[in-house]
Amino acid sequence: MRSIRVRLFLILSVFFTAVVGLNLLSYMSFLSLRSERAQMSLGNQIAVEIKSFPSNLAALSEAQAKSLEDKIAGLTPPSRKKAAAEMLKQAVTNHPAAFRRHLTAFHSNEIEFQRFTLNQMDYLERKILFLSGLSGVLFLLGFVFLQSFLKHVVVLPIQSLSHRMTDFLHNRFTYKFDAPKNNEIGDLHSTFNSLAQRVITHTDEMMSLDQAKSDFLSIASHELRTPLTSIKGSLSLLRGGMAGDLNEVTAELLGIAEAESDRLIRLINDLLDLAKIEAGKLPLQTEWMAVDELVDTTFKGLSGLAGAAQVELVYDNPSPHLQVLIDRDRIQQVLTNLLSNAIKFSPQGETVIARTVMTEDDRIVFEVRDHGKGIDPQDQQLIFQKFRQATGPNNPLVKGTGLGLAIARALVEEHGGEIGLKSKPGEGSTFYFTLSKWRFFNANKPAEAS
Amino acid sequence: MRILLAEDDLNISKIARLALEKIGGHQVEWAPDGEVALEKALTGDYDLILLDEMMPHMNGLKVCELYKEQCPHPKPVIFLSAKSQESDINAFKKFGLGHIPKPFDPMTLNQSIQHLMESLAA
Repeated sequence: MRSIRVRLFLILSVFFTAVVGLNLLSYMSFLSLRSERAQMSLGNQIAVEIKSFPSNLAALSEAQAKSLEDKIAGLTPPSRKKAAAEMLKQAVTNHPAAFRRHLTAFHSNEIEFQRFTLNQMDYLERKILFLSGLSGVLFLLGFVFLQSFLKHVVVLPIQSLSHRMTDFLHNRFTYKFDAPKNNEIGDLHSTFNSLAQRVITHTDEMMSLDQAKSDFLSIASHELRTPLTSIKGSLSLLRGGMAGDLNEVTAELLGIAEAESDRLIRLINDLLDLAKIEAGKLPLQTEWMAVDELVDTTFKGLSGLAGAAQVELVYDNPSPHLQVLIDRDRIQQVLTNLLSNAIKFSPQGETVIARTVMTEDDRIVFEVRDHGKGIDPQDQQLIFQKFRQATGPNNPLVKGTGLGLAIARALVEEHGGEIGLKSKPGEGSTFYFTLSKWRFFNANKPAEAS
Repeated sequence: MRILLAEDDLNISKIARLALEKIGGHQVEWAPDGEVALEKALTGDYDLILLDEMMPHMNGLKVCELYKEQCPHPKPVIFLSAKSQESDINAFKKFGLGHIPKPFDPMTLNQSIQHLMESLAA
C-alpha cells in the first residue's frame, strides 16, 4: 500500500535532514570564522604589547612578561606559537639583538598570517552565505512541494469524494463507481462505495416495495369499490321502491345499510387518498389564488352542512389583495375538513370563525375557531393520527372515517406548512395551518411580498 | 333513448340496467367488455353510450377513441369511473361528455345522464 502516512514521513525526513544539515554546516563555518578572527586579534594584541616594552629589556616587568606569555599560549598554528615563545624568551633573558631579530621575523610572519587568514575569512563568509541561501531556498521548495503533495494526494481526493457524496445524496442513481486509489483516502473511498452500493440496493428494494404497495392499493380500491357499487346500488333501488312499497322498519333498516355502505365508500376513498399523498403519488399543482376566494368557495360548499347544524360561518378579516401559492383543490380540502369538523362540534346557534393572520416569521396562518367543548390536552396530538378521534365523556363519537385530519396534515405538510390546534376544554378549539408562499397582488400594481 | 351499456361487472350492470330501464324508461343493450362494446357501438344504433373505464380486453377510453375514429357520426359517450384525478377527469371530458363517478346512485343515474346530455346541447 502506498500509504500517505509513510510518504509524508519520508518527504518530511528528507527535507528536515537537508535543511538541518545545511544549517549545521553553515554554523560550523561560522565557528571557524570566529576562531580565525580571534587568532588575528590575538596577534594584534601581542604586537601592541611588544610595542609597549621598555627600550631596555632589563626593565621588563614580571607582569608584562606573564601577560604576553598567556596570550602566546593561545596562538595557533604551533609554529606561530613556537616563534613567538622564542621571541619572548629572548626578551626575558635580555638578549636585545636576538629579540629584535625574532621580532622582525614575528612581524613578517604575522603579516603573512593575516593575509592568509583574511582570504580564509573571505572564503568562510561566502560559504556561510551560500549555505544559508541554499537552506532558505530548500525550505521554500520543501514548503511548496509539501503543499502540492498535500493538495493532490489528500485535499483534492477528499474534495472529490465529498462532491461524490453530495451528488449521491441528491442524485443517487447516477453515482459512478470507480476504482479507489491504494491509500488511506482510497480506503475511505472504497468504504463509501460499499455504503453507496448498500444504499442503492436498499433504495431499489424500497422502490419495488413502494410499487407493490401502490399496485396493491389500486387493485384493492377497484376490488373493494366494485362490490360496494352493487351493494349501494341495490339498497338505493330497494329504498327507492323498485321492488314495491316498503314498510317503515324495512325502510329504516335499508337506510342504515345504505348510510353505512356510504361510510365504507368514504373510508376507502380517504384511505386511498392518504396512501397516495404519503407515497408522493399526488403531485401538487400549485397556482396563485386569492385567500378571500378560497375561503368564500369553501364556505359556499359547506353552507348546506352549516345550515343543517344551525351554525353560522364567519370570515373575520378579509384581505382582498392577499394571494397564496397552493394546490387549490388540496388546500380547499384541508379548509373544508377543518370547517366541517368545527361545524360538527359546535352547539346550535354558535359561530365558526375563519381568519388569516401573519406570523412574525413571515408565514400566513389560516385559523378556524369554534365554540365547542374543546379538546383535552392528551388528545390534541392524537387526533392528527390515523383512525384516532377524540372520544370520551366530553366528546361522544361523531361518525367519520377518522382520517380527515391525517389527510389534512399530509396535505399541509406537502405544501411545506404546519397544522395544529390550540384548545382548552370548555373554551372551544382553534385549528390552524400555515402556508409560507404568499404575496400581495393588486391587479393595478403587482407587488411581490414573498 | 337507446343506450349501450358497457360494464364488466354483472351485478353493477344489472343495477344500472334496472335504473335506466325501470326508472328512466330507456332501452338498454349490454356489452360485457371493451371489445364487444366497440363492436356493438359501431354496428348498432344508439342515442348514448355508457362506458365503464376499467374493462377487460380494452379500457373505456380506448374504446371511445377507436369508436370516434371509426364512426362517421359518433354518438355521445359518458364514462362510468371511480378515477377522480384531474388528469383522468380531463381525459373523460376530452373523449366524451364527461363521467359519472362510481359508485353511482342508481336513483339519480338518469338525472346525471340528463345533466351531461344538456351540457352537450348547450
